[in-house]
Amino acid sequence: MIFHDPRKLRLARIIPWLIVAALLLACAPPQPPHLQQGTLLPKAKPVAGFNLINDKGESFTLKDLQGHWTFAFFGYTHCPDVCPTSLSMLARVMAKLKQQENLPRLPRGLFVSVDPARDTPAVMAKYVKYFDADFVGVTGEPEQLQPLTRQLGILYAKAAGDSGDAGYHIDHSAAIVLFDPRGRFYALFNVPHDADKIASDFMLIRNYYEASE
Amino acid sequence: MRLLLVLLALSAGIVSADDGLAVKNAWIREAPPGASMMAGYLTIENTSQHDNALVAVSSPVFSHVMIHRSETVDGIARMHHLERLPLPAGGSVDLAPGGYHLMMPTPAAQPTAGERIPLTLHFADQSELQVMAPVKKKP
Repeated sequence: MIFHDPRKLRLARIIPWLIVAALLLACAPPQPPHLQQGTLLPKAKPVAGFNLINDKGESFTLKDLQGHWTFAFFGYTHCPDVCPTSLSMLARVMAKLKQQENLPRLPRGLFVSVDPARDTPAVMAKYVKYFDADFVGVTGEPEQLQPLTRQLGILYAKAAGDSGDAGYHIDHSAAIVLFDPRGRFYALFNVPHDADKIASDFMLIRNYYEASE
Repeated sequence: MRLLLVLLALSAGIVSADDGLAVKNAWIREAPPGASMMAGYLTIENTSQHDNALVAVSSPVFSHVMIHRSETVDGIARMHHLERLPLPAGGSVDLAPGGYHLMMPTPAAQPTAGERIPLTLHFADQSELQVMAPVKKKP
């Protein structure tokens, strides 16, 4: 092929490179999003089976983390400051995500009580629904809780209380864990928590997940 | 005139004493159902030239009120009980979610959002301040 017009010649030289560039872009794996508050695990971590009890007194297992995204917070109902603050914040994340038109299914909000001695299913049911009618509370005996918390790096320990009413406090990880729809540990949100940033991070994480799967 | 000023200050949620202490933005978080403990928050300004400290808080609504601090270190949230909260001269100390706060057992008649609860703050220099803290359902 001979081009007499120099402009057409230049174009003809560029076209193969444009095709190569387009192919490279199409084949390149999606880049992890830049998050404002969340930390993406370098590789989603599968979670081994566990057996907890939900706020209706039913069994809650790994299957209950599958088929939808889940935000999980670990705390206890006797905690007056950090836990209500985090659960209110998480309820605001949900409210913000509900406004998103392109979100087919909302993530679920999970409160994992690390104080099974005081947080019975009945106590948790009333407590979590106060923040968001769709929140679910779960707990389990220490031998049931630890297999889950250990896999997530969530720590908790009883601390001596300073009041006869409180009895004891529990020091606990303040992070929020995000599970993907396959029930894998996908991302972590450390304090301080900001509902706007977490909601916008979640949209980025979800887009990245869908492009990667 | 003085009464008018006092009323204005009260309506703005500011209570101040003659000795340079002022309390602002006091509120108490409504207890979620079943929660045995409640938390209260406020800002204390010490405009005087003398260091002071909050040493106790009392209220007819609560059996007792404790001064606490939540602290998250290496990702672990912990709570500490404080005997006194230092109020440096010319400084302002916030009691806010996730940090310093007042902690009190939830009374049998659980206060609900909209109620106003009297708190008396006792300071190291023997002075006292009374404040009405509204119960709020907020983050």
